[in-house]
Amino acid sequence: MDTTLTTQRRFLRPRIDETVEQLAARAMPDQPLENAVDRIKGWNLHIFAMRRPAGLLLGSDVVFVEPPRG
Amino acid sequence: MYDLLIKGGLVADGTGAPGFLADVAITGGRIVSVGPDLPGEARRTVDATGRLVAPGFIDPHTHFDVQLLWDGAAKPALEHGITSIVPGNCSLSLAPLRAGDRPGVIGMFQQIEEMPPEAFTQAFDWTWEDFAGYRAAIEPRLAINVAPLVGHSVIRQWVMGADAQQRAARLDEITAMGDLLRDCLEAGAVGLSTSFVDVDENGRPVPSRFAAFEELDGLCAVLGEFGRMLQIVPEFYDVDITIARIDQLADLSLAHGIPTTFSPVFDSQATPDAAPRALARVEEQFARGARVWPQVQTRPIDISFSLLRPSLFFARLPRWVRVLRLPLEQRLAALTDPSTVERMIADAGPDGGERLMGALIVRGGDRAPAGLAGRTLSSIAAERGETPVRALLSLSLENGLDVAFLAASRGHDDTARIGPMLANPHVHIGASDGGAHLASFATYGDTGYLFSEFVRKAGALTLEAAVKKITSDTAEIWGLKDRGVLREGLAADVVVFDAATIGRGAERPVFDMPGDGMRYIRDAIGIDTVVVNGEIAWSKGAYTDAAAGTICALN
Repeated sequence: MDTTLTTQRRFLRPRIDETVEQLAARAMPDQPLENAVDRIKGWNLHIFAMRRPAGLLLGSDVVFVEPPRG
Repeated sequence: MYDLLIKGGLVADGTGAPGFLADVAITGGRIVSVGPDLPGEARRTVDATGRLVAPGFIDPHTHFDVQLLWDGAAKPALEHGITSIVPGNCSLSLAPLRAGDRPGVIGMFQQIEEMPPEAFTQAFDWTWEDFAGYRAAIEPRLAINVAPLVGHSVIRQWVMGADAQQRAARLDEITAMGDLLRDCLEAGAVGLSTSFVDVDENGRPVPSRFAAFEELDGLCAVLGEFGRMLQIVPEFYDVDITIARIDQLADLSLAHGIPTTFSPVFDSQATPDAAPRALARVEEQFARGARVWPQVQTRPIDISFSLLRPSLFFARLPRWVRVLRLPLEQRLAALTDPSTVERMIADAGPDGGERLMGALIVRGGDRAPAGLAGRTLSSIAAERGETPVRALLSLSLENGLDVAFLAASRGHDDTARIGPMLANPHVHIGASDGGAHLASFATYGDTGYLFSEFVRKAGALTLEAAVKKITSDTAEIWGLKDRGVLREGLAADVVVFDAATIGRGAERPVFDMPGDGMRYIRDAIGIDTVVVNGEIAWSKGAYTDAAAGTICALN
């Protein structure tokens, strides 16, 4: 039986009390922080656009750290 | 002498084996024999000639928690052949819950399940706080079997109080939640439900969504002590997130040796690759040894609403929801206040609501004007020289708000695509939401629709395979002891139906709920007899006085 998992869109789980900035820095340590935060916000509209209040980071969230795969 | 003998039917025993002509003999609530021309007398006999005889159907995703307190049959679920239900889904249950926390949870039930608040204040005496107390409150009147989940949100509320909707839990709080969950499982809970998508009546995420993964992992460790189920509602509108949740469930399943399930999985023409991608991921995780059961519903998505009460239709329009929650007098004032109306109209989009509301069909209502039923809002609006959203508001106001609109076929309606999904051995047929969304759509008759649409019309499943899907498969997935198969020694849950006609009736409003009382239901078609634990609970179009339901024993 094939037990290989295909590669899917990468995500992180927020750590307890982690801010968006801290998560962005963790996800993209080589990027300037502002760029990293912008990317995180753009890839996670379920958190930063659809939620009230927008940007409220929840402990259970799935936070994507790359854009959707083609 | 048998208590009950069901004679001469074609038995589909729930295993998927070809049907065979046989009698089913029942004594003491148990099946004592299945075979052709059984000898012996019986106190009662059901002539099943020309009918199919199957195990009672099992509905794994319902919200009958509240209704069971005054209606032990979960009507009209039972008359559709459902003999066992799983309430307590989506992180919400009525226990464990401290008396002081009731208002908040009532608000969540109101938001998520459209249960009128009067149901909690007028229909039963709320005497319990713990899970065993809830069980004791429903058990005496049960005509249907119940395998209740306990909700993560209420467990969180019990341990953390108001902080449950504010922050992650500390280690000591996670331990306390685990202890509480253990108490519930020992009192008969079939597992834990959680939600990653629901909000309360104020639009704030429900408590379970504030849980870090470590908390869910800790609770699943407790589930692992019992081998019980974790049920979740993922962010079903985004397949990438759904796949991430499937992976989380798989990790939890493997780490703790538990079954997991998620719902819904909707097929949509707008995102045709979404459901296939999710199911492909499920296949990969099953190949790893994980148990991640996706629940797929049979019925298409239709939503009905009027401005008389809040509806799921407005889920993405919080201003509309707030207005529709107001008492009638205040609601009417808001709907005639120019500034409020202009903001509501703006919320419907820059096209005047054409995309969102133009295709709505007028269902009619007690005071709806003649000649509008069956017409689209777009055509009515054009005739009135209004935009669709203005037409919806003005038409409603002109008729005391009692105009019902139908948003038909909003997805999950392509039989050629859904049939193979339902037949997939790793797909769990469910997600009915029975007992919820009262004012938006009927959550009854999905099993009848399985047979009428996917067995008879499309041929996507054989009759026996369809029966297996909603009986023994479900019992095995959930660990329900001695149910789901017609075999000597097992519980006598039986449904006798006409395989040529079984289906679901037209959706219709009824006014049988507490408070303002309205819900949509569908009548059963083709169901002759429903037997629960050996007692006839439904026969010839009517309920009996039997109350033989129980809390399901678990493996």
